[in-house]
Amino acid sequence: MRSLLLVLVPLLPLLAGLVTVFAGRRLGPRVHLPAAVGIGAAAIAALFLLFTAGGAAGTGHDTAAPVEHTVDLWRWATIDGALTPADGSAPRPLSLGVTLRLDPLTATLLVVITSIGLLVAVYSIGYMHDDPDQPRFFALVSMFVFSMAMLVASSSFLLVYVFWEAVGACSYLLIGFWYRRPEAARAAKKAFLVNRVGDFGLAIAVFLLWLTYGTLDFHDTRLADGTLVPGILGAARLADPTAIVGGAIGTAICLLLLLAACGKSAQVPLHVWLPDAMEGPTPASALIHAATMVTAGVYLVTRCAPLFVAAPGALAVVALVGATTALVAGLIGTVQTDLKRVLAYSTISQLGYMFAALGTGTLGGFTAGIFHLVTHACFKALLFLGAGSVMHAMGGVIDMRRFGGLWTVMPVTRATFLVGALALAGVPPFAGFFSKDEILAALHSRGWPDAHASGHHDESPAAATPPAVRVATWDRRAAPPTIPVASGSAASHRAVAVSASGGAAAAGPLDWLAGPRLYRTLFWMSLFTAGLTAFYTFRAVFMTFTGPLRLPPEAHGHGAHGHDDHGPSHGGHGGHAGHGAAGHEPAGGHRTAVSHESPPVMTRPLVILAVASFLAGVVLFIGHGLARFLAATPSLAAANVAATAVPPVFHWDLAIQGTLAAAIGIALAAIGHYGRRSDGPSVERFLGPLQTLFARRFYFDEVEHAAVVRPLEWLAAVAATVDRVVIDGLVRSVAHVPVALGGVVRRFQGGVLQRYSLAGVVGVLGMLVALAWNLWL
Amino acid sequence: MLAAAFPSLIHGALVVGAVLFVLGLVGILTRRNLIVMFLSAELMLQGISVSLVAWSRYHGDFGGHALVVFVLTVAACEAAVALVFVLQAFARTGRLDSAAWQSLRDTEVPRRIDRELPATDTVAPVWPRLTPSGVEPAHDDSAEPSREHV
Repeated sequence: MRSLLLVLVPLLPLLAGLVTVFAGRRLGPRVHLPAAVGIGAAAIAALFLLFTAGGAAGTGHDTAAPVEHTVDLWRWATIDGALTPADGSAPRPLSLGVTLRLDPLTATLLVVITSIGLLVAVYSIGYMHDDPDQPRFFALVSMFVFSMAMLVASSSFLLVYVFWEAVGACSYLLIGFWYRRPEAARAAKKAFLVNRVGDFGLAIAVFLLWLTYGTLDFHDTRLADGTLVPGILGAARLADPTAIVGGAIGTAICLLLLLAACGKSAQVPLHVWLPDAMEGPTPASALIHAATMVTAGVYLVTRCAPLFVAAPGALAVVALVGATTALVAGLIGTVQTDLKRVLAYSTISQLGYMFAALGTGTLGGFTAGIFHLVTHACFKALLFLGAGSVMHAMGGVIDMRRFGGLWTVMPVTRATFLVGALALAGVPPFAGFFSKDEILAALHSRGWPDAHASGHHDESPAAATPPAVRVATWDRRAAPPTIPVASGSAASHRAVAVSASGGAAAAGPLDWLAGPRLYRTLFWMSLFTAGLTAFYTFRAVFMTFTGPLRLPPEAHGHGAHGHDDHGPSHGGHGGHAGHGAAGHEPAGGHRTAVSHESPPVMTRPLVILAVASFLAGVVLFIGHGLARFLAATPSLAAANVAATAVPPVFHWDLAIQGTLAAAIGIALAAIGHYGRRSDGPSVERFLGPLQTLFARRFYFDEVEHAAVVRPLEWLAAVAATVDRVVIDGLVRSVAHVPVALGGVVRRFQGGVLQRYSLAGVVGVLGMLVALAWNLWL
Repeated sequence: MLAAAFPSLIHGALVVGAVLFVLGLVGILTRRNLIVMFLSAELMLQGISVSLVAWSRYHGDFGGHALVVFVLTVAACEAAVALVFVLQAFARTGRLDSAAWQSLRDTEVPRRIDRELPATDTVAPVWPRLTPSGVEPAHDDSAEPSREHV
């Protein structure tokens, strides 16, 4: 049952995508049905999985026994003798199995992906209803959900890599959905190329992992002859902290994985693609920002938590990158005037938060990162869909300087957007407050270890005892073996000879970074960012919803015609995102067209997400439910990760600090916009030259253009010239020989009869001469 | 045996044949008029025939004679066919100049005419027409009641 559900979760969106691809045109106006039904069924299946994954873990103890359930679908390829260990033991095969896994981390992410995907699909029914390319859109959304579900459900680094690329391809196609617009095509290309940099890191990391561990599977596998092949993140290895390679190799692997995560999760310096990804349809942006694309990096780092914990230097880099990203993106977000761009930078900033939490390398940090991922998925999807609703009503205009005072016009959007903004700003008791508090607590515990030391040292021995792991597979369910933890399992391997010299205990090259001083700095940076987040979020809220009502001319292009039907089928527009909102004549008879609220199919997902944004934090925080649940994930139950667990305590001082930061941010935003038109002088004026710096996004694009794009273009130009002159020249010179020969011969073919005759005579004479020569000489 | 008695006879005949052949060859190589070229080719054939007859007489058998008769027959047939081609060529271009037929040459080789012919007649020639055989020709009895001569 559990296995079937686990297979169904990715399979249903895949089927939906295929049906939409092949029968999309035939479905006509019901083209959204396969996607909505498929993703919806997958969401229900994922919810069931969530409860079954949690059922086995509820021991009430902090360090629950790891829960892992794998489903072997089929063997993709087997290469015998791919790796020959140096110690003379039998060659190891490279066995690539298509295996799905279920553990609390996967279950949590599957629920997030499919439920957000479902809401986005339903919302798109309203948002995209006039687009002629709806089949393509819904097929892509389905495939996106499928790729992402497979990414988090795969139990092998190779499969993760495959679906890592699939997610990248889907995002490319969705960002470039309106490919006739040059900006959209450029944004899609940029997103794809920037992600390639990260994918390159993942590829190298996979190679290194294979060389180091001799397998690519997460889980343990038992060969036909009964020998146990410990997976990289399998129970056998995780129970033994010395079996995880640290040192230089471990740090290198982790840094490469971080590079990959930076690409997908838009961390500095690979964050530049995310703001440009706004060129896609707004629901696609919501999908990318909330559920699918950007969570991949957070997932990858969390999944590889034991590897990162074994390389403290890499962890410090993760935290540093995360906190820096959060701060930089927050600063940039303060001066953006495009509503969707503000949200994009807030996504980058919140992802930075998650990475800062992951970078603490504590169990609390990892669970806080995932906690924030979940709450962020709710309120960021809500904010994006709300922004899409605004854009829908404003006729495609998204520049906040051109509209304002929508407070009374769009009641549902206004209320839900406000909930999302409060959640993002971290105002209690909304969702963002709790997860942000957890992250701050995790950073605090690393910055001031003494303050958190009491009461958790005595628990670590319990965590270090090797847990018994149940491994159930598709065909061997009858015999779930309890794997004895082989202490020497890693020593039978060539590359672990590396670990013998530079094993878990050995110092990595970057370990000097990881100290309380760094984490103290990062804590203050994050606290400052919390205030920034509140500031820019509410700046956007004030600019959009308060002040006198102002509408861009695009918003009431139809009002002048006196149309009165403002149903959802109304509004013609070209290939642009927006949709001319239907205006109507007010009863007073003056011709002020008023934009309308979006249709129910668009507002209902908003309401659901608003409720989720309000409740998710409290529900998941009470009793540290999510943290306790996630702690049963094998990666987080690993000995070296579980040893970092601290008893869950609600830190009142941190909560008050975070709330104060949010309150100050909101107050500043309110002061800046109080009593002014929302396009008037704003609070960021006093920033002076800094404003230019922020508005130009810290010149990241320019620097990368000069440092990466320009040299590459130069290199490409050189390569093109070499190709044209040298390679093509060689080929052409070969072609020139027959041409020259032909030039000699062709002159005889002049069409003059007498010359042909002469040639015949000369030939006969030549034959006679040859004959005479043979006869008489 | 007869030729052994008169060696100069075969010598002279062979010289005549060679002269005829070379004259024909030179004619083919130098003239552009299709009919003249055709005549030159016939001349070459006759040169060969003369030398065949001479050798036949020299050896005292009739193989050469037989071959000559055969060549004459073939040449007659060939002449009929070749004249048709010449006539068709003339009907298409209105001229008997072989330089008018240079289309089958490489595209990059220029058309080559060493000396232009004088301009053709401006008055369109009127060609005789044959009446279809087996059909009584149309005639006007009143206009021409009687024929003065046949």
